[in-house]
Amino acid sequence: MSDLANCVLPGDLKYHIDFNVWLRDQGDGTFQLGMTDIAQTLAGSVIHCRPKKAGKTIKAGKSIATVESGKWVGPVKAPFHCEIVSRNEEVESDATVLNRSPYSKGWIVCIRPTEEAGDYQSELLSADAALEGFRAYMAKHDLAECSHCDGFEE
Amino acid sequence: MEAIYADTKYRDVPVEEKQRLFDQVKSDMRWEETLYGCYECGICVAACPSARFYDFSPRVYAQIMAREDIHAFYELLNDSMWDCSQCFSCTRCPRQNNPGGIITIMREVAVNNGLESAKAALTAYSRIIYKIMSTGTQVAPDMLQPDFFPDWGPDVTAVSENLDIWRRMVPPETLHTTELAWDVAEKTRVELFLIWKLTGNLEMIESLDEGIFMILEEVMEELLEEHGYDIDDIDSVI
Repeated sequence: MSDLANCVLPGDLKYHIDFNVWLRDQGDGTFQLGMTDIAQTLAGSVIHCRPKKAGKTIKAGKSIATVESGKWVGPVKAPFHCEIVSRNEEVESDATVLNRSPYSKGWIVCIRPTEEAGDYQSELLSADAALEGFRAYMAKHDLAECSHCDGFEE
Repeated sequence: MEAIYADTKYRDVPVEEKQRLFDQVKSDMRWEETLYGCYECGICVAACPSARFYDFSPRVYAQIMAREDIHAFYELLNDSMWDCSQCFSCTRCPRQNNPGGIITIMREVAVNNGLESAKAALTAYSRIIYKIMSTGTQVAPDMLQPDFFPDWGPDVTAVSENLDIWRRMVPPETLHTTELAWDVAEKTRVELFLIWKLTGNLEMIESLDEGIFMILEEVMEELLEEHGYDIDDIDSVI
């Protein structure tokens, strides 16, 4: 748990503040990507998540998955130019996993940066470095604190 | 002219900008049938559900627009206008004024001009925009979620958990849907997408919410391509 208004930001992940996503370095040149605790709180109960197919290349800032909750819909944006290596079948069949386990079972896609990604690491921040940015993001979106459903896994 | 609210928060917005938006409202073809003069009887306020719960008054719209107070107009355009539920109870006006109709036009002007207030008001309803533009059906049964419809009470949880079964109890097979209000034919969706594209509606959405635009454009591009249309050269359809 970070000291950011009941929001969980695991220390072993990298974050992209504007796109509100996290990345887990798999150590083989690929990254798992998912929604942050802040993103799942803003979305509310997620009912559909549709990641794009493996093999697709996605430009930075373009949609890598579509997430729908009761009345809200939005894209999960690619933080850098990448190819989708695999997608999480579980989030497609039960999207509530994004609310229950945003950092573990709720990973959405596994991606590999392409040549066009350039210096993609410069866009990503550690949990500590992202704290202030996320604080400002929450203020902008009038979000006082993160909320967690029953069975939430940190 | 001073605004009716002396401490208006929009005093720094140039008068020309307020006038431009005001003129857009008044140039709407429906304008002439919305306002005939108000003698402040208050029947519209008494009938208005929003007036009961918010700092909102339909009578103010009739008054301010008739007075052509562009400063107060700009405040309404950015704030209280979004509290109207568009139920048109106010049309029981004995002078046949239509404050709800004035607000309809004002909201369209706010959307067409990409005003921040329009973006903020629509953010929470992005899926409704997405549904109506991608399928033509506005309300999906699976919107019935406890955190979005707490006013449904405890029943909404049971309904949302067994939605598929509930929907299959509805006789017409076209209503055995959970993600859509009813089955929509592919041909209908193609025609819908062409209309959004050709009328500039898709571009209007881009100015309001880049995220929905991104999703919609992808959905439309895929289906239109399947039917032999190039989304980047859509004018050739005409």
